Amino acid sequence: MSTPKSSLLVSDVMMSLDLVPVIGETVIFKEALEEMGRKRLGIACIVNPENSLLGILTDGDVRRMLLRVQKPFSAFFVDDALDHSIRSPLTIAPGDTLAHAVRIMDDRHVWDLPVVNSTGTLVGLLHLHPAVEALLKIQA
Amino acid sequence: MFFMDKKVLEIGYGSVQKVKIGDRLPLVFIGGPCAIESQEHAFMMADEIGKICRRVGISWIYKSCFDKDCRSSPDSFHGIGMHEGLRVLSDIRNEFGIPVVSDFSDPAWGAPTGEVCDMVQVPAYLCRQTSMLRAAAQTGRPIHLKKGQFMSPWNMKNSVRKIEAAGNHQVLLADRGTFFGYNMLVNDMTSFPIMAATGYPVCFDATHSIQLPTSMGNISGGQREFIPHLVRAAVACGVNALFMETHNDPENALSDANTVLDIKYLENILGQAKRVHEVRLELFDKYGEDNVHPEK
Repeated sequence: MSTPKSSLLVSDVMMSLDLVPVIGETVIFKEALEEMGRKRLGIACIVNPENSLLGILTDGDVRRMLLRVQKPFSAFFVDDALDHSIRSPLTIAPGDTLAHAVRIMDDRHVWDLPVVNSTGTLVGLLHLHPAVEALLKIQA
Repeated sequence: MFFMDKKVLEIGYGSVQKVKIGDRLPLVFIGGPCAIESQEHAFMMADEIGKICRRVGISWIYKSCFDKDCRSSPDSFHGIGMHEGLRVLSDIRNEFGIPVVSDFSDPAWGAPTGEVCDMVQVPAYLCRQTSMLRAAAQTGRPIHLKKGQFMSPWNMKNSVRKIEAAGNHQVLLADRGTFFGYNMLVNDMTSFPIMAATGYPVCFDATHSIQLPTSMGNISGGQREFIPHLVRAAVACGVNALFMETHNDPENALSDANTVLDIKYLENILGQAKRVHEVRLELFDKYGEDNVHPEK
């Protein structure tokens, strides 16, 4: 028996934070890249000690930055990742439907949506691959 | 470049005059003889520098060290020792009512130095040693942290973070020159805005910047004729404090004889520095603060 498409929620499919690159506000750019590499995701979520989402850094941001930044790599690497992040990123709530979230990802051409609850706390990450996989399973 | 909130340091505990450093506050002078040579000499210098600073109208912090651990030769004067030196500095505080700063070269000396001094200084060569930075932080005093001659200005943030991790958020970052090959230093003026991006105030150490490190075999040389040029440039670039070691008889100074500024030039240079600092702020009032952001 398959789950109705409309009832599947973001919280059912989102990745838990231990699988997501989540970094503190004073983590430097180079460490952010390392963490993204370790977790094999093209996004890092930057949070304060209370786990409120302060910004995100994505592969696309890094690519564009590499073409823009003129200072030496050694100086670039020691910048706080937060300094180069998107400070008001697109997010989704855990109680939103998965179908709605995937439509947003399609409209905005993004692979990831940080999942933030009503108090601004980061609770997970919605990644496109598991989201699509879940929707395909419903259709199957 | 992302600028944090600008922090202001207050130097001075107890009954000494409090000196504030940072943001758009007036330029502060940090100076004195490189090494404490004797109580009599230290008092004479404090008295003379104090008179000059009053005439110029600039707040100041007395600087002198009790132990010179980075001398080029084993035969060079090493200092009068921690116990005696800190006693002299304590007496200067009491006699003149001014804050004092000394460096320390061993983590174990941090606590006693911080007990007496209003500010503690971390030598440039030791600016990334975690044990030194932790000891400085644990004094609870503001820290004068000199950029190592081998360090990039952006990497000084790592040292700042070590201090912050130890619970201290009062740092003054200084440039004292950067190695340009062997036995030669240059000043990269971009180091000031880069270090200021940490949010902490910055300082220019003029007399060590004109040093030619160990250029004379077993002692350092220096080109003190460049001090006024570099002072004007650094203050115009934007610093919150100016550091200069000064002596009444440089030729016979027991430490850094080739770099200390003869006190007879001090008033002239401090007067110029104070005015350049004021002009810079006046220009900001007229034209607005620097706002070029190449990365945006």
